[in-house]
Amino acid sequence: MKNYFLLMLLIPLSSWAQVKGEISGNVEAQTRHTWNNEAAQDDLAQDWEEENFHLFYGNLNGKLQFKGSRLESNVFARHSQSNLYQDPKNPAVSEYIAPMIFTFPQKLVARDVFKLQHTEEGSDYRSELILNKLFYEWDYEEHRFMIGRMYINYGQGEIFNPINPFNQPTGLTAISQVAQGNDGFNFEFFVNDKYTVDFYFLGDKSLEGYDGQIDRTMWIHGEYQASDELQLDYVVGEDQRRHKLGGQVRYNFSKAQVFAQALYQTDFVDDKESHPLWDTLLGYDQQVTNKWHVRLESGYQKKNRFLLTPSFGERFLPTEYFVALANQFEVHPLVKLTGTIVNDVKTGFTYFITRNTVDLGHNMEFEIFGYIPAAKGSDIENPAQKLVTTDVGAALRAFF
Amino acid sequence: MFKSLFRKDIVLCVALGANANNADEWAKYAEKQMRGDRSRAKIEMSIQTPNWKRTLEIESDVEGKKLALSTINSPAKEKGIRTLRIENNMWNYFPKLKRKVAVSSSMLLASWMGSDFTNDDILKASSMAEDYEHKFLENKKLNGTEYRVIENSARTDAKVMWPKIVTYASIQDCLPRQYHYFDKQGTLKRILFLDQIKTFDGHKMPTQWVMQPQDDLNKKTQINYTDIDFDVKFPGNHFSQKNLTDF
Repeated sequence: MKNYFLLMLLIPLSSWAQVKGEISGNVEAQTRHTWNNEAAQDDLAQDWEEENFHLFYGNLNGKLQFKGSRLESNVFARHSQSNLYQDPKNPAVSEYIAPMIFTFPQKLVARDVFKLQHTEEGSDYRSELILNKLFYEWDYEEHRFMIGRMYINYGQGEIFNPINPFNQPTGLTAISQVAQGNDGFNFEFFVNDKYTVDFYFLGDKSLEGYDGQIDRTMWIHGEYQASDELQLDYVVGEDQRRHKLGGQVRYNFSKAQVFAQALYQTDFVDDKESHPLWDTLLGYDQQVTNKWHVRLESGYQKKNRFLLTPSFGERFLPTEYFVALANQFEVHPLVKLTGTIVNDVKTGFTYFITRNTVDLGHNMEFEIFGYIPAAKGSDIENPAQKLVTTDVGAALRAFF
Repeated sequence: MFKSLFRKDIVLCVALGANANNADEWAKYAEKQMRGDRSRAKIEMSIQTPNWKRTLEIESDVEGKKLALSTINSPAKEKGIRTLRIENNMWNYFPKLKRKVAVSSSMLLASWMGSDFTNDDILKASSMAEDYEHKFLENKKLNGTEYRVIENSARTDAKVMWPKIVTYASIQDCLPRQYHYFDKQGTLKRILFLDQIKTFDGHKMPTQWVMQPQDDLNKKTQINYTDIDFDVKFPGNHFSQKNLTDF
């Protein structure tokens, strides 16, 4: 597989004469002050009260455009510093959870065959360098073929997007301009103006580790524009040892857009003990005035009882039933205010997120953010919600 | 008075000839000149207040009234973001994240990149000639210049944002110099000033457009057409999902 990969990367070298190159990217410095939940200190061994957390990250995108094909890459670098990190050489001390939440998505490659990353950890820092995109894409008439590490990005959900297991939605996170890579092949067929089908063949070592076997993903995503108002998506395939089947319906009203998703996952296809999982999403999106945008997402994700720590997978917020209402106001062409309230219907846990951005000009942006639990959830139903901290912070980002 | 003005129209507004007294023809003529059958335009947009200015560079491809594709070429943050409209459907594409997002029709109302123009303006989603009924109002003098005034009222079946737009058109070249946009309550919400008429491929069109919101007179957005090609031929799949994501 490695040889094929290298061969496909070398193909474009034959057409150097028509090559066009482009470099772009962004860098961001972020700092936050965080207060721990008292219940997490008492019940979950998170014995700290308040701390600072500093984060620096950036993307470097490269693109080489050839006649009818292209090569794209992205290097993601992240350095975070805080007393919440603990000495990795001291196995007696268990890691605090909060830094994992602050750096979500922690995993920058969703399905990986190759490691292509370097990590360094110290008693108060963690540094990562990850090649999370490197693919060669070839266009031929109404078809497109891609090989390498690629982003797979579809589905209307911004907070929860169950039909796409290959890219975590970042609608609630403090990190922007981030997507997850996936190793493998993609064939895209533009059947006609209204119908597109993607076939993905991916490899994954996240279940077994790099010394274990490669798990296969065979996945089909179809997108059909049934009418001016109605779009239908379907997904079907095998991924992480489960058969999965799902779809999305999107209806475009004159004043708003409504969408629904469902994904059903069978037991593991091997004999390993498991149970079926299913996720649903219902969403509403409206531009109320030319300055005010509203989005409502509500969903359900079945808890996986067979994980070592029963959880909801790699979600930003641990909720089973949730309703999220996001409002964005443009108070000035340079100032955007965003407020999102998320409620776990079952436990009562409620969380408020605000992100307020000022365009500073010269390709720079400043942001003030706050993550504030507004109501505690039931201790019994979902103890993981105690891990959610109260944070205020600021970020400065630049684009080039 | 009216008679002399009417005669003046016929003499000066040569382009419309015998149709100079037909408000529908004025709207059709302006649209034909400024929109053509298809076009590729290079645009500089600057959003301005007394204290700051933000500039974007855009390439805008339009074919007929149903197809449009716009691409932002600068600044760096937005570079590469594309918007495709096919009939009543619209998608945004963010190439750095390879993310395509279907946009609801209500987003046509949204401010485009913080400017005083909306998605509807940029994607030329509505047609003044086809989506509105037209009638002449009394001519008006503004700053010493006399204009033909046309009231455009949205047709009942038209999916448009503005129920009423009033055009102030030059008596000399029949092209609009101002559009006044009114909301459902009849309140004047914004004025588009058009100036710097130039000819491209036989099409006369204003190359400087200034949108002035009426609720904030300190702010405005100016568009300058730096180049426009009305003879452009787009490949068959130019306005397609494949081309949208091929960037």
